[in-house]
Amino acid sequence: MSAQNGNSQELVTLSIDGKEVRVPKGTNVIEAARSIGVEIPYYCYHPHLSVAGNCRMCQVKVEGQPKLQIGCNTPVAEGMKVLTSHTSAEVSDAQAATLEFILINHPLDCTVCDQAGHCKLQDYHYEYNARPSRFLEEKVHKVKAEPLGPTVMLDGERCVLCTRCVRFCDEVTKTSELGVLNRGDRSVIAINEGRELNNPFSGTVVDLCPVGALTHRQWRFNTRIWFTQETESICPGCSTGCNVKVAVRDGEVVQVKARLNSDVNKEWLCDEGRYGFGRFIPKERVLTATVEGREAPLSDALLRAKQILGEGPLTIFVSPALRVEDYAILKKFVDGVKSEAEVVLAYRERSLSALEQILIAPDYAANLRGFEFALPGSRDHQARYTAALQKLASGSAQSVLFLGDLALSWQDQSLDIAQAITKNHRTVAMISDHAHPAARSTVVLPTTTPLEQAGLLINRAQRLQYAEKVMAPPSAAQTTGKWLTQLAQRFGLKLSAAVSDRDLSIEYLGSEPRLLGLRIAAIKPKGIDLTSFKPGEVPSHTLVEATSLA
Amino acid sequence: MGQHRQILLKNVHCTDQHTIAGYESRGGYSVIRKVLNMEPAKVTEEVIKSGLRGRGGAGFPTGKKWTFIPKGTDKPVYLVNNADESEPGTFKDRVLLERDPHLCIEGMMICAFAVGARFACIYIRGEYAYPYQRVRQAIRECYAKDYLGKNIFGSNVSLDLVIHRGAGAYICGEETALLESLEGKKGQPRLKPPFFPAIRGLYDSPTVVNNTETLAALVWILENGGEAYAQIGTAKSTGTKLFSVSGHVNKPGVYEVEMGYPMMQFLEEECGGIREGRKLKGVMPGGSSFAILTAEEVAKATLDYESISGLDRTAHLGSGGFMVVDDHTDIVEVALNFAHFYAHESCGQCTPCREGGHWVQKIIQRIARGEGLAGDIELIDSICSQVQGHTICAFGEALSWPAQAFIRKFPADFKARIREAMEGRVQHRVPLNYEFQAAH
Amino acid sequence: MTVKLSAQAETKVEEYKKLYPNVRSAIMPALYIAQEELGSITADAITWVAEKIGIAPVQVMEVATFYTMYYKKPVGKYHVQVCRTLSCALMGGRAITECVKKRLGTAPHEVSPDGQWSYEEVECLGSCGTGPMCQINDHFFENLTPEKLLQIMDRIEKEQPDLRFSAVRDALGEGLKGYPKSEVI
Repeated sequence: MSAQNGNSQELVTLSIDGKEVRVPKGTNVIEAARSIGVEIPYYCYHPHLSVAGNCRMCQVKVEGQPKLQIGCNTPVAEGMKVLTSHTSAEVSDAQAATLEFILINHPLDCTVCDQAGHCKLQDYHYEYNARPSRFLEEKVHKVKAEPLGPTVMLDGERCVLCTRCVRFCDEVTKTSELGVLNRGDRSVIAINEGRELNNPFSGTVVDLCPVGALTHRQWRFNTRIWFTQETESICPGCSTGCNVKVAVRDGEVVQVKARLNSDVNKEWLCDEGRYGFGRFIPKERVLTATVEGREAPLSDALLRAKQILGEGPLTIFVSPALRVEDYAILKKFVDGVKSEAEVVLAYRERSLSALEQILIAPDYAANLRGFEFALPGSRDHQARYTAALQKLASGSAQSVLFLGDLALSWQDQSLDIAQAITKNHRTVAMISDHAHPAARSTVVLPTTTPLEQAGLLINRAQRLQYAEKVMAPPSAAQTTGKWLTQLAQRFGLKLSAAVSDRDLSIEYLGSEPRLLGLRIAAIKPKGIDLTSFKPGEVPSHTLVEATSLA
Repeated sequence: MGQHRQILLKNVHCTDQHTIAGYESRGGYSVIRKVLNMEPAKVTEEVIKSGLRGRGGAGFPTGKKWTFIPKGTDKPVYLVNNADESEPGTFKDRVLLERDPHLCIEGMMICAFAVGARFACIYIRGEYAYPYQRVRQAIRECYAKDYLGKNIFGSNVSLDLVIHRGAGAYICGEETALLESLEGKKGQPRLKPPFFPAIRGLYDSPTVVNNTETLAALVWILENGGEAYAQIGTAKSTGTKLFSVSGHVNKPGVYEVEMGYPMMQFLEEECGGIREGRKLKGVMPGGSSFAILTAEEVAKATLDYESISGLDRTAHLGSGGFMVVDDHTDIVEVALNFAHFYAHESCGQCTPCREGGHWVQKIIQRIARGEGLAGDIELIDSICSQVQGHTICAFGEALSWPAQAFIRKFPADFKARIREAMEGRVQHRVPLNYEFQAAH
Repeated sequence: MTVKLSAQAETKVEEYKKLYPNVRSAIMPALYIAQEELGSITADAITWVAEKIGIAPVQVMEVATFYTMYYKKPVGKYHVQVCRTLSCALMGGRAITECVKKRLGTAPHEVSPDGQWSYEEVECLGSCGTGPMCQINDHFFENLTPEKLLQIMDRIEKEQPDLRFSAVRDALGEGLKGYPKSEVI
């Protein structure tokens, strides 16, 4: 299995293409090669699924073995000498042959295929074959455009029968919706009649599909991938912190893929998260600062906000989807401006099925742990949030500050709350959505969404991760941290000198002793496990892991 | 049946041999009684001494295979009798199962005792309905007499025996595919390593898989001793072997022959020569998965592993499925028949076999239809080279070795068809094969 | 959805489940039981087997579609399976197929209008020395000529014997009466 799962830390030395490699015992040849930057191509292999060994793409020459071996199923051994296609003609011929075989029955419909541009069939063809086909016969015809369920569409002719999708449903979700029917070249992925591929992680099979056989029904034919901007980020849906790659075109999320992170989400993603990115994009955007519902110069709005926050008891509702940096600024703001303010994290638990629990956290609070990290000692979020919300609804809350749209949980963004806010007259909201109840606040400051801000998150398992912004905010929108910084200035406090999100992260990392020595570049690839991190230590990544396999 | 020593077929003509009474009247179940008092390791030793090699096709030394079962394993050990007999041209096990089922069972008892198996299974091909019924009846008879079940023959050894019916898949003759099938899955071969049956076989437990003929031979070996068996045949191919003779011979059937016997003599004398006084074109001596031997090669060959593989690296004694082709036969049609077979029987698991097998079939079909092109022969050869050695199981070789041998040894047949096509003068021939497309 | 088959089928499948160290091994026998009762592997057959074994229906489908002896489409009461592999082909297997085709006037896998017949070509049935041959349901008919096969089919039409697997018996006199069960030696 994968290098990460090698249960022994005993190291084995072998050579790949003449280069010496030291990897943990139990690592397979694909991962060992990857660790020194040597690519061994494959379709069926996945580090977190059982080895199928069916695609025959990852063949390598192992000295002493008469036949080529498949890298996925070959564990490293002391003194082993491996040759890949880069150094062995036998291997490159075998891989070119495999590609020729895979392509003979492939429809070659790249011009209309969503996978074009991020397809392993295309990529490998250019890298490992790139010769005209000798196949003159009629191709086998199979099922086209067959919905497997609400989210996924199958094109049987494009399928290379790697069975990753089948294995995912058998081994990970254990729902076994899919199978391979028939045999020989009539083999086809299928779902049993009367059933649907509708498990909570169904869209993951599209990520796992190395070719264009499985596509997202809601994103079919919407764009060519090269017209999009793809960003590696973190899903803001819950506190699992799944690593994702988000493609955006014209302000719309047009595709979300899981990114491989063995310590977080393997390469899985829930449907709610994947197909739910749109919920973070408001339909009606708060584009300017308003005071009492009217557009106001920023200085007026900030002045009014200062008045409201400065007088009387203050409750601060905080979104659990902000960045650690925002929370750190909030902490300084509260300490410096209003230490008696009640800071409430909008946190609600939700119940999950056993299946959902394999990946999904029981919350909608992407940065719950980040909040706790920046404001140590905070606890009982749900009870305190519920109480504060009641106070707000009953009209007994005095000054109120909303930090972020999720300062009110999704389910609390109700008409009742909207009316209570309207009646309050002492509320300040930093939000993005004009339809949000807090848009009726006395002062509204246009704020970024979780998709529009780069910065640090800490997931439920205490892993510090770095999320890139997946889309640019409108020009007037600022992060809560920035608004707080500007407000603090009016109270005579200087909280941050950072201009960009990145500056802020650097500033924060440089000033937080518990994260001493960490830089964005070290955090970004796989995150940092804070339960074992020792400040000042430079984390070493012994193994390079692919950021995306499919 | 000639002058050969009859070890396996000795009693198949006795009409009551399939009953336990008939079997015991000819000394049946005396060997197992003796064996039950031996040390299991001693049984294995006798089998090693006998030089017996697997009769299913691979010819791997049987005793050695048994020694791969880990000693002192805490998992149960299983024995599987591979009676899938799906290799084209092979019907020898059918004779044993149908006519002497208790011999097969006694052989299994000996093996099970030697390797410590308490559960054994006969995996019989689904089409063998009649042999199935006979074996099942034989198993019932054994249970009724406490020859199977707890404390067989009053010993402290227990053995359960089940007969399991396949359902039409050639690949299930491959031992790991057979185990998958027996576990209630598609018969797709497993990756080796790590799934060598002796270590991780049926239900992930150590398993011995032996062919029916191999198991049946154990009775004689344990009765007469391994050395006596090793005296028969040649030094490396010991004992007798069953040959299933079919095709253009006067006397097709199952023959028991001592290893090392001259092939041409066997063909001429035992099998009655080529039908209608025609000449020999070629023989596939070991089923459809290996190279054809030309008449010249047949004249030099003897019926043993070394001689056949010595004449052609890709030819093999295999299962002893001895298919004879006369000189009126167009090898293009023979090649097409096999290519269709392998395309139809590919399990579809790994790329080269799934795609390559059909490609070869389509090209040969095109040649046979009179639409051959220059370069087709080279293309077939190249595809076959790309398949073999690159697949999960030996099916890759099984589909490519015979095809390559056909074009290598009988190029004239292919060239003639292609030339006709290129010159636009396709001759009408009565094809050997029925038109295929409809059958899919 | 729960599918019920006859009491006999229910008993049989439970017997098979007990035979093996692991119940999943009983899928193949269970599919045969369902097929004999329902004529082919219908959606009900899949559901029934999946429920009996306790696995996902699609895994039963995988097995049912992998093996050729499970019929995914209905077959005739008498399903003629002509061997097409080399040994039979060398001895005239093609003529046997053509003879069946001509007599029935249907395409392979197509059921005759009266529901009596269907046919297909199959790969090697292990009767290579007695080719050409065919299997009608689970009974072998060997050393065929077209004439001999037509006679057999005539008799079958007239006598309507039970040629299903469960009717294959050791004793003579069942199946097609007087006809040899096996001609292998």
